[in-house]
Amino acid sequence: MSWVGAVAASPLSRRNPTVKLALLFLVSLLLLVVFDPVTPGVLYLLGLAAVLGFARIPARTLLLAHLPFVGFALGILVVNALSRPGEVLVDLPPIRVSVEGLVVGSALALRSMAIGILSIGFIATTDPVALMTSLHQHARLSARVTFAVLAGYRMLQQLPREWQVIRQAQSVRSPLRARGGTRFGVRAFGTAAFALLVVSLRRGERLSQSLESRGLGRGPRTVWRPVPLGPADGLLLVCALGAVLLVMFVVGALGLSLGPDTLF
Amino acid sequence: MPASTVVPTPSAPTGTRRTSRFTLKDLVLIVVLGVVFGFLYWALVQAWTGLSILLGPAGDLAQHVLLGGWLLVAPIAVAIVRTRFAGVIAEVIASVIEVVFLGSAVGPMLLVAAAIQGVGSELPFALRRYTSFGWGSYALSGLLGAGFVFVFSAFRSGWYGQDLFFLRLAIQLASGVILGGLLAKVIVDALAKTGVVDNFAIGRALHAQARG
Repeated sequence: MSWVGAVAASPLSRRNPTVKLALLFLVSLLLLVVFDPVTPGVLYLLGLAAVLGFARIPARTLLLAHLPFVGFALGILVVNALSRPGEVLVDLPPIRVSVEGLVVGSALALRSMAIGILSIGFIATTDPVALMTSLHQHARLSARVTFAVLAGYRMLQQLPREWQVIRQAQSVRSPLRARGGTRFGVRAFGTAAFALLVVSLRRGERLSQSLESRGLGRGPRTVWRPVPLGPADGLLLVCALGAVLLVMFVVGALGLSLGPDTLF
Repeated sequence: MPASTVVPTPSAPTGTRRTSRFTLKDLVLIVVLGVVFGFLYWALVQAWTGLSILLGPAGDLAQHVLLGGWLLVAPIAVAIVRTRFAGVIAEVIASVIEVVFLGSAVGPMLLVAAAIQGVGSELPFALRRYTSFGWGSYALSGLLGAGFVFVFSAFRSGWYGQDLFFLRLAIQLASGVILGGLLAKVIVDALAKTGVVDNFAIGRALHAQARG
């Protein structure tokens, strides 16, 4: 995703990264106390509409990005339906599905879908470098931390290549199997991972020396390409939070909401 | 470890241990640990997602078997840097890299989970004032890290009230001790042997120990 391609221009990509991150965080916190399927279900649909409308993500990418958390959501649903005691809905030994299990399971599954779609919207429209700059400018994160993380980001981009080199060097030296290939088991993974760790730590030390020799962390710094923070960002925050609270309120007024006590 | 019996000398900074301030070098090391482990987890998760969909409900249980692996960063960072909050910061930075740079859709709650397990993993070392790094400390670190985050995840994922609750807890704690505690010591010792961390607190401590 974000480390594969550049961020395309869209209404959401022009908003301040710190504001978007804070928004994502707040909505996730609010959803933490919701245990009915209706609220997260509605929020997922709203989130999907917002991402389709304002993030300009190609349909294929959006669909593929769904895969990991849809699998995760299905797992949660099935486990809760099967393993939660309560009023029995289906009883075909050894399978026993309870009503409570189905309710809690679908609520948690839809919650991970709702957070998932918002995360996609955030990741696909946020440039990591702009996020770090913005966190330094607007969240008062110290320059030493943001530069260290950005250095890590650059390193991350080189890791797949580094990994490939280590693996190739290992396979050249490892014995061939009958069909010509080489084994790549847990042991080989461990050796390659350790080599990657040592190489990266060495590079990290050189990197910190060069950052220090450029005087990083001594006194205040100016920012190259500052990230704007304007009224539109406030509007985004208010509108999005307002929508979430409105949905929670309406669902509550309809008598459909459930809290954490549903679990016990 | 007889590190506490070392007589402080002017040339060895181990006598006046500072455990409260990070140098830029320490920060970069913590980030590098987060990046490398983030990348390795990401590679494993790619293989894992397919498998867990195949396993269905069993895949949901199997996550506890591997949980200890997510704890590794904290004890390794603490053991090398030996500075207050190193473990918590390492966990949080690792999760930031996963969420922001690798695009994990688990979302920002991963940051909260990371902070909680970082506190659990760091606590045993902090209580001994970052001087004790034996097998017992590492095992306890893994146990607490896994236990702390279990309380949070159980609420988040609705494990309370499930028939499987205690099975989940037992698997997760065992995984924490083995993968998140003992394995960390194996890795730290191996790293120390390569000499790549000689210029950090762990290298200074080992050096002082060898001379004393």
